[in-house]
Amino acid sequence: MGEDPISIDKQFLAAPISSAVDKFQLVPEFLKVRGLVKQHLDSFNYFINKSIKRIVQANHRITSRINPDVYLRYLDISIGDPSITIDHTTDKLTPQICRLSGRTYAAPISVTIEYVNQSGQPPMTRRGVVIGRMPIMLRSCRCVLSGKDEDELAKLGECPLDPGGYFVVKGAEKVIQIQEQLSMNRIIIDTDRKKRLTASVTSITEMTKSKTTIVMDKGKIYLEINQFEGKIPIMIVMKAMGIESDQEVVQMVGRDPRYADLLLPSIHECATENVFSQQTAIEFLDKKAKTYTNAAIEKQGKSVYLLSRVYLANVPVREKDFRAKCIYTAVMLRRMLEASLNKDAMDDRDYVGNKRLELSGQLISLLFEDFFKTMNTEVIRRTDIELQRSTRSTRLDISQFITKNDITQGLERSLSTGNWKIKRFGMDSKGMTQVLARLSYIGTLGFMTKISPQFEKTRKVSGPRALQPSQWGMLCPCDTPEGESCGLVKNLALMTHVTTDEEGAPLISLCHSLGVEDLGTMSGEELHSNNSFLVIFNGLILGKHRRPRHFANVMRRLRRAGKIGEFVSVFVNEKQCCVYIAADGGRVCRPLVIADKGISRIKEHHMKELRDGFRTFNDFLRDGLIEYLDVNEQNNTLIALYEGEAEPETTHIEIEPFTILGIIAGLIPYPHHNQSPRNTYQCAMGKQAMGNIAYNQLSRMDSLLYLLVYPQRPLLTTRTIELVGFDKLGAGQNATVAVMSYSGYDIEDAIVMNKSSLDRGFGRCIVMKRLEAIKEKYANNTSDELMVPEREGKEAERKKILDYDGLASPGEIIRPYDIFINKWSPVNTKDTITYPLGVTAKSHKPAYQTYKGPEGETAVVDKVSLFSDKDNNQCYKFLIRHTRRPEVGDKFSSRHGQKGVCGTIIQQEDLPFSERGICPDLIMNPHGFPSRMTVGKMIELLGGKAGVSSGRFHYGSAFGEPSGHADKVDVISETLVKHGFSYSGKDFIYSGITGCPLQAYIFMGPIYYQKLKHMVIDKMHARAKGPLVKLTRQPTEGKGRDGGHRLGEMERDCLIAYGASMLIYERLMLSSDPFEVQVCRACGLLGYFNHKLKIGICSMCKNGDNISTMKLPYACKLLFQELQAMNVVPRLKLRDSQ
Amino acid sequence: MESTTSYQRFPKIKIREMKDDYLKFELHSTDTSVANALRRIMLAEVPTIAIDLVEIEANSSVLNDEFIAHRLGLIPLTSTRAMEMRFSRDCDACDGDGQCEYCSVEFHLSVRCDQDQTLDVTSADLISSDPSVMAVDVAARSTSSGYDASDNKGIIIVKLRRGQELRLRAIARKGIGKDHAKWSPAATVTFMYEPDIHINEDLMETLTLEDKKNWVESSPTKVFDIDPNTQHVVVVDAEAYTYDDEVIKKAEAMGKPGLVEIYAKEDSFIFTVESTGAVKASQLVLNAIEILKQKLDAVRLSEDTVEADDQFGELNAHMRGG
Repeated sequence: MGEDPISIDKQFLAAPISSAVDKFQLVPEFLKVRGLVKQHLDSFNYFINKSIKRIVQANHRITSRINPDVYLRYLDISIGDPSITIDHTTDKLTPQICRLSGRTYAAPISVTIEYVNQSGQPPMTRRGVVIGRMPIMLRSCRCVLSGKDEDELAKLGECPLDPGGYFVVKGAEKVIQIQEQLSMNRIIIDTDRKKRLTASVTSITEMTKSKTTIVMDKGKIYLEINQFEGKIPIMIVMKAMGIESDQEVVQMVGRDPRYADLLLPSIHECATENVFSQQTAIEFLDKKAKTYTNAAIEKQGKSVYLLSRVYLANVPVREKDFRAKCIYTAVMLRRMLEASLNKDAMDDRDYVGNKRLELSGQLISLLFEDFFKTMNTEVIRRTDIELQRSTRSTRLDISQFITKNDITQGLERSLSTGNWKIKRFGMDSKGMTQVLARLSYIGTLGFMTKISPQFEKTRKVSGPRALQPSQWGMLCPCDTPEGESCGLVKNLALMTHVTTDEEGAPLISLCHSLGVEDLGTMSGEELHSNNSFLVIFNGLILGKHRRPRHFANVMRRLRRAGKIGEFVSVFVNEKQCCVYIAADGGRVCRPLVIADKGISRIKEHHMKELRDGFRTFNDFLRDGLIEYLDVNEQNNTLIALYEGEAEPETTHIEIEPFTILGIIAGLIPYPHHNQSPRNTYQCAMGKQAMGNIAYNQLSRMDSLLYLLVYPQRPLLTTRTIELVGFDKLGAGQNATVAVMSYSGYDIEDAIVMNKSSLDRGFGRCIVMKRLEAIKEKYANNTSDELMVPEREGKEAERKKILDYDGLASPGEIIRPYDIFINKWSPVNTKDTITYPLGVTAKSHKPAYQTYKGPEGETAVVDKVSLFSDKDNNQCYKFLIRHTRRPEVGDKFSSRHGQKGVCGTIIQQEDLPFSERGICPDLIMNPHGFPSRMTVGKMIELLGGKAGVSSGRFHYGSAFGEPSGHADKVDVISETLVKHGFSYSGKDFIYSGITGCPLQAYIFMGPIYYQKLKHMVIDKMHARAKGPLVKLTRQPTEGKGRDGGHRLGEMERDCLIAYGASMLIYERLMLSSDPFEVQVCRACGLLGYFNHKLKIGICSMCKNGDNISTMKLPYACKLLFQELQAMNVVPRLKLRDSQ
Repeated sequence: MESTTSYQRFPKIKIREMKDDYLKFELHSTDTSVANALRRIMLAEVPTIAIDLVEIEANSSVLNDEFIAHRLGLIPLTSTRAMEMRFSRDCDACDGDGQCEYCSVEFHLSVRCDQDQTLDVTSADLISSDPSVMAVDVAARSTSSGYDASDNKGIIIVKLRRGQELRLRAIARKGIGKDHAKWSPAATVTFMYEPDIHINEDLMETLTLEDKKNWVESSPTKVFDIDPNTQHVVVVDAEAYTYDDEVIKKAEAMGKPGLVEIYAKEDSFIFTVESTGAVKASQLVLNAIEILKQKLDAVRLSEDTVEADDQFGELNAHMRGG
């Protein structure tokens, strides 16, 4: 009896403690050490510190082909501080200087070189030779902003909340977008377009890039490589690589009789081709190989070369030992055969673990490598030319041939155009960089986490667009655009990290010392013996291990202890009997709390140390409390959402569930209560919301800037909002919203607004536009001149705002058609001008630039700045400011994908009021709710109402209720009741017009509303008559050209169906391009009107006897003439109208 | 109300609470239409003075000219004079350039920061040409009745750092809230119907004390309470009732419909008026009544003659909505 309670007690003690440790604090800590765009910074830093050195090391010696004694060797490479050298003086650069003056934020790349100019001379060394200028990523380790605190950043004119991670190229902020790719050097089992089973490997090494595909076609297995013509039976390839016996192949693939059966047709085909030995196999392949001109290849034998260098290029071949490649082929075959038996063994291309993200560092390093190699060949070429010359006036100096412009300009060009054209790597991608969107702070952040797909968008497949379960925690499930790129363009989640390459050699030797047996010593039979797993490192088969799980655990323990890199992933694939170890770059991973038998390693005292500042995120990593897991390794884990839900098998615990969303989706309060597409819509709209863009927004000169006059932080906030700084740079205002019908001007999502609120500044915004002017210099030494404006005369009115220097002065009110620069251009810009300087009416003509804005609106000249461009011309930038208050037709949206335009503006006294005197700023129609199911918006209203009445910001973080990061509705209702409101958020309201109570209780409270950039004033356009296109004489197109409104095909169809023929006639001809033609009734061709004789004449019949006058659209006449030019004669047959 | 052929009524006002900027009163023996008209006029048609035209001479602050002009406009100015003043558009003496004492008041502001700390430019820096028109917080400070002077720093217009300067001339004019909210003298004007609560005592006594407590607590506002001595449910504050029907629903849920009956007294209103300080709350009500009377006169007279429009003078402007 006494025993039992004790045993129960033991169990109770061993059970996990249910009182969960609040691990939320780890998230801000994580973001503090990592920043919001750490993936870009890490990648670029890695390039600057490591890979650039590796590139130079790999190509460190260049030798003349004429005289091998003449050489140049790179000893070291380094990148300095961002600076600019003009006229031999070097100035430090800051990003803000570059933005304002249109320069590139770049640092010199300097090398130390050793070189010999003549045989027998001792080598000379030079330090600090600049080979070019490298654009520097903002906030990277080479940037002047790195490690600066808020004050120092402010002194440099930089916003402390700006995340960095982009480049400033020619004054424009450019982001290299994250590129998504299929992972390299991995076997992917898939089906091709003809539904054939394939195993493919895209190999990439420092030397080559190739794609190897093994196809199963009608039961037989073939190899497909571009360099061989047609399909090559795989058995012949195996034989060519030295496995002459069919039995050995079968053993290597595995002795399962099913595999042997599947291999039989292939073996049979090999026999029918009469290939039995390595020699015959090579001969067979030689016939199939495409011709090569390179002598070295011909000497070695084409197919041997291709097999060693192209076929599975990632598997190294040493001295014609093809064993490793044979084993690799066998593993590919085995996996393929397995897949043919069992469809589950197929790989999923869309699985995130099979994806790699290519970041700015890798992309720039490709560019740099190409330019560097080009520069080296150029050095050799010029040295050789110089050496071949018989008479040399000067001594040869090989170091003089190093040019710096090619690298500088090449990098600059690629970054500013976004075209990555690298012949050496067969790369030609467009649109790799994009101008950083500075519409709102959040839009900027969202831009940095965007992942662009590598596939073309036109493919009509749903697979890559679907939400993958493996995206959990890595990629945001909400944030994707609508339309053609839906699901292809993705965004990183809040805590995602993207790895960089890690040194492989130490890891490989570690694996070997941990008991991985080398394959070289093994027979084919042993390869797939039971209970031993293959160990695969970065796609390369290292060997096998007899105790794979133990091996994986040891590796993981080493990682947690910090002995190997924290981003090394160890993944045991039980199905494939493989242990995958990955240390390559571009994998996505995220931190998780480690749990032992379901008990979190993080205890309350750890969190206390963190709160007290004794512990950082990295300490958690170092102490093995937290680790990074990539998508593959997550498959070996059991992750509990909360500590309380952990079971004994649980290996990891999530830090905070809301981190599965990205930055932009993190702004939505209660997103887990919304219908999913609504969150996606909000993600698209949040980027268009106006607000503050940065602390330095007013010292910038953006071409277009939208600012809100009184931005607020949302009353109903989320943890993400605080983490990313949206509470400091908000984009919206808390509006008191009444959900009711009012005036009928609120149908179809329109919004009724309170005029008094607008008077007080609600939704008021500032639009800044940049105008530019250049004072150009011409070839004949003349240049544009700025003139003192005339204060009298017919243009004086338009020049009122000009200052004495001929430029509009800041603070002046500018109207459409006002001249903002009194510029005069020389009449003659080609011939040499002899007469003296000075501007006369003869020598110069006015080249005014006028402000074009909405008619009837006035704007203000905010700022004028002067700088000189790269050709040393004087440039002027004018910032024009326009303050706008909301008007009917402006677009607004809440944070729940509920957009609407302002339908009408109502006087405050006409709006309903509560007995407390609360009057809505905005009325929204309740029909917006049932079909959209945005329950989150309702809870936001409740929480906001409780927030204003209790004076505390309420939270609505995603999935935050269990962990206390979102207020529960019950609690909110209680707060409401405490402050005398109804628990339901509904108020008793009186009509403002009659003073009578309304029939229903009205759901009323504050909701955060965003003003979107689409404003009616920018779009409103109409014309009666106006400019025509020269060619067709039809009205021009578009608002900018004062164009007409098109009556399109569908509208025309309606009119035809209705039978409104005269209306069609008017719209399609009279209002467009009527033209009077002379038609010859005899020949049916168009004639002309002779103004002297006052008759129409047919130029074909040479008379005016049968001429009729009629009206045609000018475009029709044009068509006839164009047809005639092509030897087609259109003839008109006329008939009297009835 | 006895129903005679005459519909004339004699509305009464009972003032409950009166402060400079707050007034709570009861309005009896009248109609919703009258009460609402009064409310609407207080919000939108009682004239005040507010800055309407700003000429910026120098502005090197962080906020742009329009921004500052908008902020200046929203500063409430003491407007006791407003009723006698003219609208600048009706003023024959001038063209509204601030030179005319009948329609406009000129303000000057000239501040420059020469220190290292940020300098707040506040309503106190606005120098008025007319001592009776000034920013309300400045006026309150000088009378120092309710405010603690050290606590009241004035309404901030903009903050300046070293070297920044703001110099401007502003003209305040008379206007009404209908034109722009800056001319609205009222922060809050609202009324409610006085509730008439009847508890069915017999039915109530069938409830247990526990049920009574539950029922009393079902009201979000404290309308009912239980007398500790008699354990009877009593109405402690009928006006706290927000017409939320919670107690009625609760009674129904408890299976006792008709436990309480609540009606709104349709001829009795409780007004709450909060002023921005431009006009005293009590004066605001009086002004509103005055304007209402003028409007009614206009209606009365316009029955006789269509051309009467010219005679109404100031009121004519109100009629045209601006």
